[in-house]
Amino acid sequence: MQKNALHILLADDDEDDRLFFKDAFEEVKIQTKVQFAHDGIELMAHLMHPETILPDILFLDLNMPKKTGKECLIEIKKTEHLKHLIVAIYSTSSSEEDIEDTFIQGANIYIKKPSSFDALKKIINEVVTLNWHYHTSGLNRDTFLLRLK
Amino acid sequence: MKLIPNFNSPLALRIIFAISIFILLFITSVSYKHNRDLQNSSKLMMHTYEINIQLERLLSFVKDAETGQRGYIITKNSRFLAPYLFSRDKVNRSFIKLKKLMNDNPKQQQNLKNLFDLIIQRYTYLEGSLKYSNEKTYDKRKLDNCMFGGRIVMENIRFQIDEMNDVEKDILQKRQKIYQSEISLTPIFSIILFLVALSFILLSYRQISNDLNRLKVFNKKLLISTKLMAESEIIGAFSTWQWDMDSDKIVYSDNQYRLLGYPPNSFVPKKETFLEYVHPEDKQAFSSLMQGIIENKQLPLIYYKVIRKNGEIRYFKTIGKLLIDEQGSKIMLGITFDITEEHFQNIAIYERNKELEKSNKELASFNHVASHDLQEPLRKIQTFISRISDDDMNSLSESGKGYILKIGTSAKRMRILIDDLLLFSRTNTTKKEFLKTNITDLLEKAKLELSEIIQEKNAIILADKLPKLHVIPYQIEQLFINLISNSLKYSQPNIAPKINIFCEKITAKEFPDLLEQSIKKYYKITFTDNGMGFDPQFKETIFVLFQRLHTKTDEYPGTGIGLAICKKIVENHKGHIIADSTPNKGSVFTIFLPE
Repeated sequence: MQKNALHILLADDDEDDRLFFKDAFEEVKIQTKVQFAHDGIELMAHLMHPETILPDILFLDLNMPKKTGKECLIEIKKTEHLKHLIVAIYSTSSSEEDIEDTFIQGANIYIKKPSSFDALKKIINEVVTLNWHYHTSGLNRDTFLLRLK
Repeated sequence: MKLIPNFNSPLALRIIFAISIFILLFITSVSYKHNRDLQNSSKLMMHTYEINIQLERLLSFVKDAETGQRGYIITKNSRFLAPYLFSRDKVNRSFIKLKKLMNDNPKQQQNLKNLFDLIIQRYTYLEGSLKYSNEKTYDKRKLDNCMFGGRIVMENIRFQIDEMNDVEKDILQKRQKIYQSEISLTPIFSIILFLVALSFILLSYRQISNDLNRLKVFNKKLLISTKLMAESEIIGAFSTWQWDMDSDKIVYSDNQYRLLGYPPNSFVPKKETFLEYVHPEDKQAFSSLMQGIIENKQLPLIYYKVIRKNGEIRYFKTIGKLLIDEQGSKIMLGITFDITEEHFQNIAIYERNKELEKSNKELASFNHVASHDLQEPLRKIQTFISRISDDDMNSLSESGKGYILKIGTSAKRMRILIDDLLLFSRTNTTKKEFLKTNITDLLEKAKLELSEIIQEKNAIILADKLPKLHVIPYQIEQLFINLISNSLKYSQPNIAPKINIFCEKITAKEFPDLLEQSIKKYYKITFTDNGMGFDPQFKETIFVLFQRLHTKTDEYPGTGIGLAICKKIVENHKGHIIADSTPNKGSVFTIFLPE
């Protein structure tokens, strides 16, 4: 395990999506360590565990059994040692309502799950190379939803 | 309509009557006084005459005595002496009478006394002459003296009597004069007063007959409005009642009895007995309400059920208001509505609403299914296809490659369909926030969104200046996108598409069949293109969901949702959209948006 590897955590109940995600990261030429949580409960248990090293970016699916992504997001933003965690919403839904809600609750970026592997790689590349300092300091409704050029 | 006229006359009438009665009483008392005066005057006259007669009589008695004595002296026959002897008695009686008559007059009494003295003197002379004429005591000188003296006294007596008569006559004349003056003045006064009273009475008679006429008119009006009220109570299934809070007397309108299932006026309403009609479920609430009326003099709106005479259950609504009249008595006025039909209709509406809510919820969950659950497997299909075409395409057979391509195209089409369907349903379900927006800006945004295809097709879009309107901005933008992309999609081959957008302000009256007339002014925005157009017989169906005029899916890809969305958006803005076309010349889409 390399020290300077980017630490990524994906919370998604869908096995295929986790597979796509893993494959995409392997193909992206960046040193990363990708971990997975299978649902909201597992995610929160992992984050709350005292020995856990917090990820650099958390990719959060919204539609999960047991505990939804939105509930997790609210909990994270309420917890003192987690509230500065960078949260990227990663969802099939592109409904205005979901985008609006997660923006208000403090997510950093909203990613609509793409429908091709190529697009997924592009998105991942974009997100991991994003200047997070710039992106977190002034949250902007217009740049919240990630659009690929 | 002013139902209660201003009947001021009663007060005026009362005053007039009081004055008239006063005048009549006055006239009566004056006439009574006159009568009494007349009576007094005749009495006085009688009195004077009586005195006169008595005095004359007195004189004649004295004369009788004188004549009798004279006869005796001449004849010496004692028979002549009889009048003389009786005359003294008669004179005395006369005196007593006169004294009585003159009791009220001291001056006359004095005169009477003088007269009495004179008469006594006369009798003394008479006695003297009788004595000196007697043969035994004859004395010529003394007899002469007596006779002569008697004559002088007699004259004095006559004089005295005349004087007394004069005094009486004087009194009579004076009194007569006073009465005369009184009587001569008062008749004119009385007549004047009588005329005044008469005119007053006539005046009040006129007033009364006027009032009577007005009363008749108002009575008629009142009768009409009472009838109207009774009829409208029957038609409107409501009733009115009055409850005098002081005497606890309750009056129902006819329809109140009917609402309770009884013929009008078939029983005497009492506050205690109304509870009998109230449904057992509502008795508790109703009796506490009755208590509230008595304590607080208030009757807020109350809903309750009653059981009619025939056992039918009816739903009532009652409201009351306290009225305090001029005399300070408190009357609770109430209206009761029979809302049974309404109640059941409401229940039906409520149930239908619930059903609607349920189906709306189902629709919403369908939305969720479409937006998420349906997209997820599709997205995965597409991702897997993309992985196959990226990595494993070369190891496939030619036909396999073809199938993969076809799967990809179908999946893409399905995605477009889902997206469009979502867009359509969101047009109705998402928040509708109206903002004052510059429509030109929205058109620019729409053009920007379509810039790629506009450039590709070399399209020219010319637009008038568009107004600022209260709209849902993203929907209007969507509307423009759909209309423009529709024109671009169905452009004529080899001709650069040209879209002209015109805008003008119109009034609703100009399009009475299309526009909602309660909104006065609209903006009419027209999109004219030079595309291939469509058969005008489809100008209505073109807006129906999934209605497509072209079957060749490859040539003109479309879902049949775009124009349905346009219609929905315009309807969301209380506007209207119409389409018309000349095939192979172009189409015209016209939208009307309220100002």
